[in-house]
Amino acid sequence: MSEKEVLQPAASSVTHVPAARERAPYLTAFAVLIALTLVEIGVVRSGGIPHRAAVVALIAIAIAKAALIALFYMHLRYETRILKLTVLGPLVAPAVYGLLLMLDAAARHMR
Amino acid sequence: MTSAVASEHGHPTAAWPPDAQYGNATPGKIGMWIFLLSDAFSFGALLIAEGILYAGHRPWRQPGEPELGILFTAALTFILVCTSLTNVLGWAAAADGRRRQAAILLGLTAFGGALFLVGQFQEWFGIWAPGLVHEGLVFGQSPRASTFFVITGYHGLHVLVGVAYIFAILAGYLRGRVTERQIELLGLYWCFVDFVWVFVFSFVYLLPSLSGA
Repeated sequence: MSEKEVLQPAASSVTHVPAARERAPYLTAFAVLIALTLVEIGVVRSGGIPHRAAVVALIAIAIAKAALIALFYMHLRYETRILKLTVLGPLVAPAVYGLLLMLDAAARHMR
Repeated sequence: MTSAVASEHGHPTAAWPPDAQYGNATPGKIGMWIFLLSDAFSFGALLIAEGILYAGHRPWRQPGEPELGILFTAALTFILVCTSLTNVLGWAAAADGRRRQAAILLGLTAFGGALFLVGQFQEWFGIWAPGLVHEGLVFGQSPRASTFFVITGYHGLHVLVGVAYIFAILAGYLRGRVTERQIELLGLYWCFVDFVWVFVFSFVYLLPSLSGA
């Protein structure tokens, strides 16, 4: 291994993954993201969906969209399991905290 | 290379890849992920604060305050998603050695980011139509107004920094000083801006509009 190779790695951690350089997954993710955004607009504008179901649907769609961006556009799906856990693990705590606060607010409104 | 050779040149030795856990991920990439994680906590705190204020204030939308433009913001969302695509395709082109295509795609990403900022300026202050400020959504006058400007402003600041970051990387790339590794790090930051916008769009625009607030 040359000095340059040792001190300056030649490629990123995903360049060596051939699938990471293919366009098709990125275009598919793009199409799904646009479709999910249209569904979000539909949920808000339809008016016929029960409020609680609409809230759950919008949150679920948001999580799905964010997951698509992180996995495909941010290349997380090509990274090691430890790196995935390093990134995603700490996000669980604030998500649970937010969920508990929403449930608390909902419970107080039902009283 | 041995450590003796490295020591002669005064450089520290570093085996690559460093370990089994993080594979070929560079320290720069791990550092960028940790930065983005901390930034995600900032956005999370802002959105949770908004949720707490939302739960305690009825009606959320005060009399005289305008509705938020869902369709206009959906168009901004479309622009951001497009820039995430052009960014990652730009990285792929750079990784394949297609330099001209990579530069064009990065330029398009910067253009999309600038377009988003113009759209946000229009939404706030108005350019071709009255903005929210002129319609009665004023910072400090209600929790809805304050959280709206703080959260969308904080996100807009990230977009602004992102556009500057793209131009800096693009300039370096055109001069041959930037590799696809730096473009990938830029992509992590830029797509994070899109990642966060997904939640801003849902929690600031869509969810409050369900109750007509």
